[in-house]
Amino acid sequence: MNQPFLRIILGIYVACFLAYLYGPFIVMGIISFQQGPEGGPQFPIIEASTFWYKHLLGFAPPSRVAPLPIGEAMVRSLTLAFSTMVVSTVLGTMTAQAFRTQFKGSGIVFYLVVLGMMVPGVLLGLGMSLVANQLGIDRTWWSTAFVLHVVYTYPFAFLVMLAIFNRFDGRIEEVALTLGVTPSRTFRKVTFPIIFPGVLSAMLFAFTLSYDEFPRTLFTGGPDVTMPIAIYGTFSVEIHPNLFAFGVLTTLFSFALLAVYGLLMTAFVKRAQTLTTGMQEEIE
Amino acid sequence: MSFDAPKNSSWLLGRNKQYFLLAPGVLWMMLFLVVPLGMMVYVSFWTQTTFAIHSDLTLKSWQTFFASETYFGALIRTVRLWMITLLLTIVIGYPTALFIGQFVRGKTTQTILLVACVIPFWTSFLIRVLAWRPMLGKEGAVNIILEKFGLIDAPIEVLLFTELAVLIGMVQIYVVFMVGPIAFMLARIDQSLIEAARDLGASGWTIFRKIILPLSLPGVVVGSIFVSVMVLGEFATSSALSGRKVNLLGNIIVTQVGSLKWAFAAVIGVVLTAVMALVITLLLRIVDLRKEL
Repeated sequence: MNQPFLRIILGIYVACFLAYLYGPFIVMGIISFQQGPEGGPQFPIIEASTFWYKHLLGFAPPSRVAPLPIGEAMVRSLTLAFSTMVVSTVLGTMTAQAFRTQFKGSGIVFYLVVLGMMVPGVLLGLGMSLVANQLGIDRTWWSTAFVLHVVYTYPFAFLVMLAIFNRFDGRIEEVALTLGVTPSRTFRKVTFPIIFPGVLSAMLFAFTLSYDEFPRTLFTGGPDVTMPIAIYGTFSVEIHPNLFAFGVLTTLFSFALLAVYGLLMTAFVKRAQTLTTGMQEEIE
Repeated sequence: MSFDAPKNSSWLLGRNKQYFLLAPGVLWMMLFLVVPLGMMVYVSFWTQTTFAIHSDLTLKSWQTFFASETYFGALIRTVRLWMITLLLTIVIGYPTALFIGQFVRGKTTQTILLVACVIPFWTSFLIRVLAWRPMLGKEGAVNIILEKFGLIDAPIEVLLFTELAVLIGMVQIYVVFMVGPIAFMLARIDQSLIEAARDLGASGWTIFRKIILPLSLPGVVVGSIFVSVMVLGEFATSSALSGRKVNLLGNIIVTQVGSLKWAFAAVIGVVLTAVMALVITLLLRIVDLRKEL
């Protein structure tokens, strides 16, 4: 499109749009530096301080504001996210691998898997607690909540891997096998390096989705809470800026995770490039 | 679906191996997705007493749902809020997607803008919702800024703990799911098509109406499906930003489960599923997604 006037108008509009998206984000950052313990979550902040960060980490003197119950919840959330990530990525890769050839009922299997990410968490959480009740199983974060987390994240992993396999030339594997390379070695040396970026993306998806997952866990997590449920618990009581300080810290943690992902990806691309150029040199 | 890989091209793809690869995933989904949803439908016909449920089949919970002002009202409210949110995400999201997909040159800038839209998602969903409270309150950021610029004399009070607050919050959280798919479809449009139209004398508006809009429609439908599914199942935003005044179907499920009224919660779950299935079917009527993607 080549209309300078419209372009400027839309540009300004997008700037406003981003301001709207980032509004709460910025508010969170500012309020996290509210003076404590008297200062509440309102504007303008009385005086900048790092009181609520200290409060969050347990360094602040005891006050009327109870500390956020996050220590154990954090460990549970990370464990849950990690296990979910491993299982979903394995399941997603296996299913996508099966989809490389056509088979009867592929449509049904496709929709069955994708349904997992479409069904709202409330419904699935409710259904799973009904099943657990009926069978007399205790609802815990590592059993009933875990299986639902996988139901939710496995479709994402599957779709990512499907996209990767769709661009994957199966003849490369055949060549390796014809040349007498064993199947397991072919997978390690040929298939896996090609699908690795996809696996990494699938893992990132699964981990972050599970880490922040809330409605499914609310119904099926049982008495030992995960991180989001601990935050949900503060909904009914008064909010203090320590919650926002925590928000800032978790956001930074997410960025760290994203940075690790970026680094692994770059390292992989670089290695792939040196490998190809090395091969070319040998040929020449 | 067509997956154009040659048949039996590789060692992993033999008949038996294929079923072996599929079995764990399919089994997982059957046990933990299909069975729970089936159970929900089944339990909705159970008999609910004050302290327990037992499996004698009855329509009583269903009758209560449709007879009660509170519950039927929640259904109407959910549908109304969903419609407004969907409309707003399209109206607000489309221009942004248009800018990213058509007016920005270069893949890098496009990616940067899309990533900028996604970054807020790296903060916990619940904290993002709660951050609207100090924004919208009577002495909140929005009121302070508006007063400073002399736009209002007294603080606007309807901003927080109202349906408006829920709308503002939900649109902000879900609009990105609309922008992404539309921008993706818009960026795929062949520029020579637009140039040809212009050379033939079409005005900017005609180009938009005859080329850009129809070609971006699949993106709008995909975005609408995402937004609809999430908004219809929503309960946290409405309870946090309305001060529990706006009760959606999701909120009622949570309260019913809290008071162990399982059969009743199941009825509402089934109603919600039916609404969702209807919405998605209607949306898929507009565009044949399989053909488009």
